[in-house]
Amino acid sequence: MSHSVSRREFMNLLSATFGTGALIQLGSALSLLPMTAKAASLSLAAPMPGKGKVVILGAGISGLTVAWELTKAGYDCTVLEASNRAGGRVFTVRSGTVIDEIGNRQVCDWDNEPHMYFNAGAARIPSTHRNLLHYCKELGVELEMFINESKTAYMQDDNMMGGKRVRNGEVSTNVRGFLAELFAKCYTTAQLNEPFTESESEIILGLIRQFGDLDRNKMTYHGSSRAGYVSGGLLDHGVEKEMIEFKNLMKSRLIGNTFTANEGETGPMLMQPVGGMDMVIQGFTRKLGDKVIYGAPVVGVQIKENGVDVAYDHDGKRHSISADYCFNCIPAHLMTGIPNNYPEDYLTSMRSIRRGEAYKSAFQAKYRFWEDEDIYGGISWINAPISQIWYPPQGIHKAKGIILSAYNFGGGMVFTKMSQEERVEAALAQGEKLHPNYRDVVEKPVTIAWHRMNHMLGCSARWGSGFSGWTDEVQTLFDRLQQPVNGRHYFIGDQMAYHGAWQESAIASAHWALEDMDQRVRSMAAQA
Amino acid sequence: MKHSLLALTLAAGGLSLNAAAEMDTSYYNDHYCTTCHGADGGGSEGVQAPRLAGMEPWYLKRQLEHFRAGIRGTHKEDFQGTEMQPMAAKLSDDSIADLVQWVGTWKYMPTPVTIAGNAEAGKALYATCASCHGTSGEGNAALGAPALAGQNDWYLVTQLQNFKAGYRGKDPQDTYGAQMGPMAASLADEAAINNVVSYINTLGR
Repeated sequence: MSHSVSRREFMNLLSATFGTGALIQLGSALSLLPMTAKAASLSLAAPMPGKGKVVILGAGISGLTVAWELTKAGYDCTVLEASNRAGGRVFTVRSGTVIDEIGNRQVCDWDNEPHMYFNAGAARIPSTHRNLLHYCKELGVELEMFINESKTAYMQDDNMMGGKRVRNGEVSTNVRGFLAELFAKCYTTAQLNEPFTESESEIILGLIRQFGDLDRNKMTYHGSSRAGYVSGGLLDHGVEKEMIEFKNLMKSRLIGNTFTANEGETGPMLMQPVGGMDMVIQGFTRKLGDKVIYGAPVVGVQIKENGVDVAYDHDGKRHSISADYCFNCIPAHLMTGIPNNYPEDYLTSMRSIRRGEAYKSAFQAKYRFWEDEDIYGGISWINAPISQIWYPPQGIHKAKGIILSAYNFGGGMVFTKMSQEERVEAALAQGEKLHPNYRDVVEKPVTIAWHRMNHMLGCSARWGSGFSGWTDEVQTLFDRLQQPVNGRHYFIGDQMAYHGAWQESAIASAHWALEDMDQRVRSMAAQA
Repeated sequence: MKHSLLALTLAAGGLSLNAAAEMDTSYYNDHYCTTCHGADGGGSEGVQAPRLAGMEPWYLKRQLEHFRAGIRGTHKEDFQGTEMQPMAAKLSDDSIADLVQWVGTWKYMPTPVTIAGNAEAGKALYATCASCHGTSGEGNAALGAPALAGQNDWYLVTQLQNFKAGYRGKDPQDTYGAQMGPMAASLADEAAINNVVSYINTLGR
């Protein structure tokens, strides 16, 4: 870098690096992180005499939350679950697990060991998700730390460095060095809007130097030991890795991930339950026992003046249940296929929600090959449909491990439309760009196409068209569906939160519904 | 109910996922229809899966066989068809017979009207359809033409669009589809399709 950079050039460079949208997204992601209110301690009133029968449709985490809270308050709850397991998209795959994809049923035959599991849906618990953490504590779900970002994991992009894999730490160190040098140049050319005193300037320049590991005198970047050594460092002098020119790194749109992966909701500390995310679900179902009826698909919902009638199939027979209140977390796109007497505008809202398309897959690794490469967790990024490889933070130094071989949240249909054989071959062909011996060291694939999973047929709900965001029209549809019908039927789940695909969102929607119902109950009790 | 009709074996790229392990498969069978097609096969707009209740057994069997063989549901633009096809690909003859019998136990329920078209204009267009599908849209088994009356109108629209665009009915083995393609192509545009389906909506069932 030999010439000074103007402010305009600086901004242009910044947006060229990450994309303007990316910068805005990062900014809003950081400032708009949903604030979790006080930790969950609902104080629900006891039911009015003879008015305490509740039916909950779906044993996803929102339904289980409602069942548990209302049971504690003295209500008589029944949970109807279409599948033979609770949890919905909180789903852990381990030895013997059946993956009930329509048209592609799989049975997992991994080694049967406690650390050999794969969280095929929800997989991370941010430390800010207080309500979920509250239930983990209350239900005795043991937690451990989850690692989202590793500096020793890789980034690979055919457009960058001739397709050579680069350690995340090399990417982030060299990008920071470049940015810091830019900052320093911008600053010394006095093109910032805010004037600072000399002593303040010293602090700022010190910070910039520290941010990018710049040369102390010239404030220029020539590489950093933060990127790791090629050799030595302990008994020999360390040989630093050669600096990677920013113009080489900027060929990949992925480089910003080395910063964002460790910020906001995916920043530390993240947690996971010991043994699999479904330990959260088991925490609830242990408490609820036979209140949960499995293999009980709902076949009709009729809302009446003072309650809700629900028909369901179970053990080859049709049953019905009359309840005072109904909480429903059946995915909206499935609910439209179940006879009901919902108001037309309520149904219109349901019909407007589109099905999420997330896709994940995993392999059993014959040995923990990533540990031989200094990787003990975190994510490798690749500019290919598999998008990510996750290394398990659990089971360190054990013989084998389960490795996430693809996670495509927004564009999972690429894989969903493939046969099982094609999905596996794609994961191998793309994954071996990150690990050249991949094909030889992984086995026993499982694939989770949420769009095709039985009783689910979609990942997190998509409100509005595409990713265009939240319009007034969508807001109206959402608001309508959030309101109960007759004060008796509540639609819940992460589909009824602004921030889908998190367990905390599903719990928040359940709490909203419970508090609304509780107010109505208290008001009726006061009038009685 | 036929259990364990599916071999629980998937070979994938040389990586075998072969786990006839000790697991309880009694819950699992081929009775997946209602997840997509709605309770008692009444159809589900949310996943664009049509009503099966009341469908003619011969037509249902033929379509399942077509899906299984890849005659239908393999064109990548036929999105709903490509969702159905892998499901049917796993079915045996016995399983198809079992499913057709199961579907036959569902009672037909009227489908809601969701298409806004000009039924009067559609009536004239329907004259062509009537020659095979019957003047009341009741279908004609001898001609291999299924009933149209009472089917979800959004489904009829999608299928007419698919036939018109060649996403359905182009497979050389799909002789009925080959007849249907040019018929759909004769409908000038989206409005014409909506009009004729609106007319079918008036036929009742």
